[in-house]
Amino acid sequence: MLKIEQVVAGYGRLTALKNIDLRVDKGEVVFVVGPNGAGKSTLLKTISGLMAPTSGRISFQGERVDGKAPEQVCRKGLALIPEGRHIFKTLTVQENLLVGAMIRKNAMEVRADMEMVLETFPILRERYNGVAGHLSGGEQQQLAIARSILQRPTLLMIDEPSLGLAPLMIDQVYSSLRQLNQTGLTLLIVEQSTGRIMDLASRIYVLRNGNVVLEDAPGNLANGNALDAAYFGFSDNAA
Amino acid sequence: MLILKRMFPVIALVVPLIIVVFVIDQFGTGNMQRVSTEALVRLVFAVGLYMFVGNSGILSFGHMTFCAVAAYASAWQTCCSMMKPTIMSGLPAFVRDNTFPLIPSALTSVGLAGAVALVSGLVLMRLSFFSASISTLALLVIMNVVFANWTTVTMGNSTIVGLPVYVTIWGALAATVVVIVLAYLFQNSRWGLMLRATREEEVAAQASGVSLYWSRFIAFTLSGFVAGLAGVLFAHFMGTVSLSNFFLNHTFIIVAMLVIGGMHSLAGVVVGVALISAVTEVLRQAEAGYSIGGLSFAVPPGTQELVLAVTMLLILIFRKDGIMGGKEFRWPWPARSDRLAIEERKVASVQRSS
Amino acid sequence: MTHFIQVLIDAVAIGSLYALVALAIGLVFGVMRLINFAQGDYITIGAYSLVVPSAAATPALMFGALPWPAMILCVILTVVVLALVTERLAFRPLRNSDLTSLLISSFAVSYFLQSLILMVHGGRPKTVSIGDALSRAVEIFGVRLPGVQLLTMVVALTLLIVLVLFLKKTPIGIQLRAAAEDFQMARLLGVPANRVIAIAFAISGILGGTISLLVIIQTGTLDIRMGLMPTIFAFFATVIGGMGSLPGAVVGGYIMGILSVLLQAYLPAELRPFRDAGVFSIVILILLVRPQGIFAKTAKERV
Repeated sequence: MLKIEQVVAGYGRLTALKNIDLRVDKGEVVFVVGPNGAGKSTLLKTISGLMAPTSGRISFQGERVDGKAPEQVCRKGLALIPEGRHIFKTLTVQENLLVGAMIRKNAMEVRADMEMVLETFPILRERYNGVAGHLSGGEQQQLAIARSILQRPTLLMIDEPSLGLAPLMIDQVYSSLRQLNQTGLTLLIVEQSTGRIMDLASRIYVLRNGNVVLEDAPGNLANGNALDAAYFGFSDNAA
Repeated sequence: MLILKRMFPVIALVVPLIIVVFVIDQFGTGNMQRVSTEALVRLVFAVGLYMFVGNSGILSFGHMTFCAVAAYASAWQTCCSMMKPTIMSGLPAFVRDNTFPLIPSALTSVGLAGAVALVSGLVLMRLSFFSASISTLALLVIMNVVFANWTTVTMGNSTIVGLPVYVTIWGALAATVVVIVLAYLFQNSRWGLMLRATREEEVAAQASGVSLYWSRFIAFTLSGFVAGLAGVLFAHFMGTVSLSNFFLNHTFIIVAMLVIGGMHSLAGVVVGVALISAVTEVLRQAEAGYSIGGLSFAVPPGTQELVLAVTMLLILIFRKDGIMGGKEFRWPWPARSDRLAIEERKVASVQRSS
Repeated sequence: MTHFIQVLIDAVAIGSLYALVALAIGLVFGVMRLINFAQGDYITIGAYSLVVPSAAATPALMFGALPWPAMILCVILTVVVLALVTERLAFRPLRNSDLTSLLISSFAVSYFLQSLILMVHGGRPKTVSIGDALSRAVEIFGVRLPGVQLLTMVVALTLLIVLVLFLKKTPIGIQLRAAAEDFQMARLLGVPANRVIAIAFAISGILGGTISLLVIIQTGTLDIRMGLMPTIFAFFATVIGGMGSLPGAVVGGYIMGILSVLLQAYLPAELRPFRDAGVFSIVILILLVRPQGIFAKTAKERV
């Protein structure tokens, strides 16, 4: 579904991604984990069009998307919730959701989806006409997810959904992500910690210093040694 | 040898200036000498502006204020002893009724400009990056409004004439050299380096214990003094002082020179001012009309302004750091250890840009 | 009492005017982090489009000779096209530059436009009279008001309300506000960058054109720098309102208007010419107390 081949990307003279290969298949939940500065956020930015790769190709459902602007990429069905959620704090909850739905054509469907989203996240209905900046961190995360669902993406990318949230909130966010996946949404999630991802993940990539150092299914990583080794770079053979 | 190497960036700027001035003084026409003197005075101002803008990264619209304060202060002290009691009746009696010697007047005028910079810096430098930049504009407006309406002291929008004209090309050169050396010493001083660090990364520099406020404040005050010096030179080069010379248009010209040369290095400032002064002079003459072999042609008036603005935009779009790219002229024969240092600098700048 | 009412109406009229310019500047700043110096020249060029280019002090009318609906349309269209052209040619290539480069670029565009007017129209101030009928005074509830003041107030308030409704109620308005707050995120959700920026510039053109007409009706004088002071006032309106906050820009506009009208009304006569110096000194003081402005969007400004 999403195929990333030999992608190199960076800022100025600094290469943040050095030759990345990665794929996400339909219905999967793929995790990309790695320490700070591994290039995880850069990867998502590059896929979503916020950054253009210096070389390599990114294709989504058989179509090249690398080098396209984010507003074009999202119209192909690729949505990104960036790190820090980035809800529009001065807009109301309703307006946030409306911007989320802006690329949709069919007003009837949007209305039905809006109802579905408010059903899933009741707190948003409660705060519907309130300013989004007043929501708590967890509520903002829910709004960010709801907003992206209204885009009706085929693949949703999330940068560190658990960042800055209380443990209880993280559980909630993860359970809604699981629900979303069960309805057929494919997920590509970046996390810094490997703690909670095992039971949700279909496959895991470990990124370090801009390289994929490990790719495997969680079942094969059950004891966690290989994962830790790749994550912390105990054995450098993978690089 | 060591000092020669350390001061090379300055020497590489000053020596060519001296040679050019010598050639023009010996062989140039009167007009060429005039144009060059004016360019040198501009360079003094530009270096002053650079000491703040180039090191801090904060654009200032306000430096003409200090220029104006010094120019007027010098006019109050040295101008037209006969007319002064009538045309500037609002001056304090001891200034109004006396004429002061040139050098002390120049020094007190520069001091006054510096004091204004110091006081306004105390306030403005507390503001964040962008607010500080915009607020320098407020400073300029305040100065302009006050000077335009305080007619008993400044003659408002009229021109004060009859200042002693004593700035020669060599005098302007001497001031330029002093100011360039000063700017170079400042940018390599502890405060200057700190400020350049804050320019790259405000948050990080603050976190590493650099006092943003004080480093900005010191640069602002120093550059105010230098701008004041430019004001005095300008007044006694022209022999007149006119408020319209100290507003946005002239600020723009200097900013354009800084941008085109590259406002992150002293070399950029010198190259920018020299180049743009030369080009504008050629265009100015073209506006007046050239005649070649009996054919005369002229470009429409206003061409130099349009060319300047377009050049500046093109530089911003295609070569953001200006002609000099933010670099100084460096000692061309680096020893091994220096080469290592240069490599380290490169690595550091790569890391910064991430 | 009547004096107070006059002062109040004055304050609302001037405040609305500044609020409009501030909104134009705030919108453009929101979508591309650009403080647009050229806004002042949009106003100036709008005014100059009323007359035929010439060196004369009372030039022949161009758009000014048209019946007023056509005149308004032509002036506004001229300014909108101008705003879009400057965006396309000068600002778009710099879209991803740092704040200082953008600020300098708008300074350059402003200087370019000013020089262009100088080249085409000459540097002398000119007189142009449109809307003479409006300079008569109108009496309402025993208060005599200059018609121009009333017109300014009504037009500025109406435009402001229309603009706020546009921003609040229409999908494009909501997208514009979203983009003004977080441009990257808006793009990720499908808001087209080129379109919102063009819309922001078009709005600043519409506002610029309207303001040039209002100013001309008031003063009857064409001057190369006529747009400068309203724009500088509006800069500070957006700064004290909090850069990037649109409600802040409006409130800031009113603060600037009220400040200058109050100083004008209550300063001793001999200090009145220094009014603007007072206004800007107060502005600096406000910024000292609230460095991020009144409606600061974030705790830390992007550096």
